[in-house]
Amino acid sequence: MSPSKTDSSRGMFRAIVTDLHFWIPLTVLLGGLFLLDKLR
Amino acid sequence: MPAAPPAQTPVHATRLRTLQALGIFCGFAAGAWLGGAEAPIKLVNPDISPITVSLIMVFGVFLARWSVPAFVRGTSHVRNDVRQAPHLIVWAVLAGCMWAVANTLTIYAIRNVGLSIAFPLWNTNSLLGIFWGFLLFNELHYAGWKRWLGVLGGAVCMFGGATLLAIASSHQAAPGKAALGIFAALGAGILWGTMYIPYRKAYLTGMNPLSFITFFTVGELVTMTVLAVAYRGATPLWLELVGAKSVMFWLMLGGFVWVIGDLFQQYATKYVGISRGIPLSNTNQLWGLLWGILVFHELRGGSQAVYAQVAGGSILMALGAVAIALSSATAREHSSWQDAADREGQRYGVEGEYVRAGMEGRATQSAVIQGGGMPADPNARTSLDWLLILVTTSLFGVLAVMARLPHVDIALGWAIALTVAMLALLTTCALAIWRTTRFR
Repeated sequence: MSPSKTDSSRGMFRAIVTDLHFWIPLTVLLGGLFLLDKLR
Repeated sequence: MPAAPPAQTPVHATRLRTLQALGIFCGFAAGAWLGGAEAPIKLVNPDISPITVSLIMVFGVFLARWSVPAFVRGTSHVRNDVRQAPHLIVWAVLAGCMWAVANTLTIYAIRNVGLSIAFPLWNTNSLLGIFWGFLLFNELHYAGWKRWLGVLGGAVCMFGGATLLAIASSHQAAPGKAALGIFAALGAGILWGTMYIPYRKAYLTGMNPLSFITFFTVGELVTMTVLAVAYRGATPLWLELVGAKSVMFWLMLGGFVWVIGDLFQQYATKYVGISRGIPLSNTNQLWGLLWGILVFHELRGGSQAVYAQVAGGSILMALGAVAIALSSATAREHSSWQDAADREGQRYGVEGEYVRAGMEGRATQSAVIQGGGMPADPNARTSLDWLLILVTTSLFGVLAVMARLPHVDIALGWAIALTVAMLALLTTCALAIWRTTRFR
């Protein structure tokens, strides 16, 4: 992977993990998996 | 509330009205197809594990989510969308994971409390959708009290109707398992209500729904496969899959029908937002009820009070949907959406023209230039597209030959009538999307 592509991937990763919107669905997903584990 | 009205150039009023009407139509079409998707699942033997049922459905969903876009626009458009907004792959996969978990929960819910109770409970996702739409994406900002009343009142009305329908059919709940079923249905509602965050992120940034679903389904299939192998074990799962070959067609058909409904829901979300699109597509409960009562003879022998509750609940739901449909976004509110879109574009470095063209359902300037003044051929398909269509069609053909019609008392005439109604909606809505946006 070229340096510019690596930088661009890192930038995208940083933008996602610093986006509050990302953590809301992720938390709900983990909660759903927990519930599913209890129900099965 | 926001401090000041936004300042971008607004979308032309006529175009805005057309897009809003299209989104509302898509919401109603989504309701019909999402409701109809539950019907094939009812034909399946309850001895099969819910996890396996969900996995087989997701196989059907996966095939549909690749073959339908290949058929409608060709997968070359997907590559172009990914070049413009690669971050949306992450969002789409995340949404797909949520869908898979929610779908599995609904199967537990249906098994434990029945479709009639489970449906309204997981359809509370629309209230959550309104909340996220307002909080995160500027929906209903500058909307005025009449539109607030229309959307929120309509959603509450639909919830009330859904509850009445649940009470009417509560005698179908399996004793002792109601609490589990209720938790499962509510959990599915929360997952689905929150799944609309990635949807809205994608469509504010200009992504095409047909591109979004191709990555979405990777999340679905991987999550479902991991869940199935972890919960059932590889060998028992394989044996169960082999044993289920006679019903595989019905489950995969359910998945395929769901995808058509979901695609309309995605277009509704794109053009009217999650606060309006999701409640409208939740009219699927009315369609589910129609299938249940007319085709599967649910509620047969019920008292007059039960039928009165069903009629009252259905009317309430329909009135709620009409109230939402009449509360489309004003130019001022739409400008507020553009604010949210700009914020997304800046955060993820997406071209402004791409974002704006996506919101307006038109080709970008660069696509027009490449097409010699006309938009690039939207029907261009590669051999990969035809291969996808051929493989999917063949697989469904083989499964249909192996399929066995279960010994379930169904009213075939009503099943045909409802199918024809769904196909009529599919055709008219697809034509409307094509004429207005060329499936953008």
